[in-house]
Amino acid sequence: MATVRFDHIKKSYGAVEAIRDFNLDIEDGEFCVFVGPSGCGKSTALKMLAGLEATSGGSISIGGRDVTELGPGKRDIAMVFQNYALYPHMSVRKNIGFGLKMHGMAAREINAKVEEAARVLELTPYLDRKPRALSGGQRQRVALGRAIVREPKAFLMDEPLSNLDAKLRVQTRSEIVKLQKRLGVTTIYVTHDQTEALTMADKIVVMKGGVIQQVGSAEELFHAPNNIFVAGFIGSPGMNFFHGTVEPGADGPVTRFGDAEIALPERCAAMAGRDMIFGIRPEHLRVSDTGPAVGLTLVENLGTEKILHFHTPAQNTLELDSTALAGEEERDAQTMLIRVIDDRRYSDSEQLNLSFPVDKIHVFDPDTNEVVG
Amino acid sequence: MEKRHPLGSFALYTTVIVTCALLLFPIYWMVVTALQPASNLRSYPPQFWPEDPQWNVFADLLEKHPFVLWFSNTILIAFATMILSLAVSILAAYALSRFRLRGGQGLGLFILTSKMLPATLLIIPLFAIFRSTGLVGSLWSVVIAQATLIVPFCTWMLKGYFDTMPPELEQAALVDGCSPLGTIFRIVLPVAAPGLAATALYAFVVSWSDFLFGRTFLTTNDESWTLQMGIASLKGEFVTEWNVIMAGSIMASIPIIIVYLFLERFLVGGLASGSEK
Repeated sequence: MATVRFDHIKKSYGAVEAIRDFNLDIEDGEFCVFVGPSGCGKSTALKMLAGLEATSGGSISIGGRDVTELGPGKRDIAMVFQNYALYPHMSVRKNIGFGLKMHGMAAREINAKVEEAARVLELTPYLDRKPRALSGGQRQRVALGRAIVREPKAFLMDEPLSNLDAKLRVQTRSEIVKLQKRLGVTTIYVTHDQTEALTMADKIVVMKGGVIQQVGSAEELFHAPNNIFVAGFIGSPGMNFFHGTVEPGADGPVTRFGDAEIALPERCAAMAGRDMIFGIRPEHLRVSDTGPAVGLTLVENLGTEKILHFHTPAQNTLELDSTALAGEEERDAQTMLIRVIDDRRYSDSEQLNLSFPVDKIHVFDPDTNEVVG
Repeated sequence: MEKRHPLGSFALYTTVIVTCALLLFPIYWMVVTALQPASNLRSYPPQFWPEDPQWNVFADLLEKHPFVLWFSNTILIAFATMILSLAVSILAAYALSRFRLRGGQGLGLFILTSKMLPATLLIIPLFAIFRSTGLVGSLWSVVIAQATLIVPFCTWMLKGYFDTMPPELEQAALVDGCSPLGTIFRIVLPVAAPGLAATALYAFVVSWSDFLFGRTFLTTNDESWTLQMGIASLKGEFVTEWNVIMAGSIMASIPIIIVYLFLERFLVGGLASGSEK
């Protein structure tokens, strides 16, 4: 168990900078998740922490000890890989015990530890099988067993659930969290799936283009995103965006959404006359009797939950470049979504009135894409 | 599974039988020739199985000629070539497969060009080198000459195999505390066993069947003759005992079969499956 610190870490491949000035402190026993779209540098950061990739600058320490120049085997960490990387020619028993053997532990002691890890992970009946004779979920648990048996200072996990089917993924997700809480080992977990990040992490690090966008708890990232990228990336579906000019209204600042006016938070009064980007989460938009009228273009019915699509009014449509909203490429910038949980039946082309709760509106600067106020 | 049409089965079996017959006939004819006196060879109609098989031809071969010496020389050369070629090509293939080397791809192709040169082209420079190093007449001359031709091909065979292995296997071993060289011996080589077996078999067979290098570098030293040279020497100026030559050829084929049977279990692929997903 240990703290982990990234201090001004850089990584470049020739002229390409994969990681830029990466600074992060992870507390002892914390479950920290690196999340971001593919190519954001999250796996590179993890590999540098593991010692599998050299850094191009800065230092990394684990438990207060500078490990930047140490090889992977000397950092006292354990890693679970996306494809599990089980040694195919060894039995489950030997796979789990391999790290202990490499650290010179006596055979009897190794056996006792392997048996204990297998008992915790319910792998005892499979100890003498080869990995190819196991199911995906069992292989996943062997990979976990190989990590926990070492009792390392930190667990590193590189998208360990992405090869499991949806149901097993949800189940294993909670098992990993329970195991981590019980063992209390500092864990750094990499994923591109923001649902995994939100449900598992104590601390989430959102990355894009090799730069940390925001560090915080699930709550903080969801309710107080730093910029448009985090707002769009966190949440499923991500935040809706539209732009408009801040105008002074009778009861405070307003902006026009289509033909109607919507009230803005009081802090926008200082931005009167400026063109801003506004964001509101699909679950915060409400269907009501008054307010801007929109026509539904698509209804996605997920049982009680429904995702309603409508076109952003032409004058409010954003022209964000694709990098600002990475991770939401499939999302049409001219479409906004409403997430409703009710028993009402909605149909395509239906007209609805919406209310925009003023305390749920986020305001972003169109020049920097950063949150304002 | 869909049931095969009877005509399809017939065509399939016919093709298999004809192919096997074509491949096996020379072996069968070698055995038949060995077991009858040389004088019977040109008799017409030919005998498809000798009436009185002359099994003593094998004993004659061992008694009248230094067959055991030729045999052991060839075994030594083949194993030494196999081990030397594998040792070099494992390291070369691993480096080409795993490290981002500057000009690595060009280097890989360059290695292959030496395979494109015919052995006859290399034989004079090699002879000059071996003469100046005093290796002419030594078994090592053939081992080294063979390795120069076998290593490039083995390197490419193994590189192809290493490329299919997920690098995470080695990374996992490194994180587990294994040294980089230990990773090659404990993880990469056992997992690559089928590829290694195929490569080893290739090196052994090529080296075993060598005639050209042996004939050029070893002729001056009777003690270093190989099987192929020995069998060729049985062809006389006036009389050729074809039955003895064929008996020698049969015995020369046996080690290849034994090596194949031993390596066959490693040749079965799919060992790497199960490491991931």
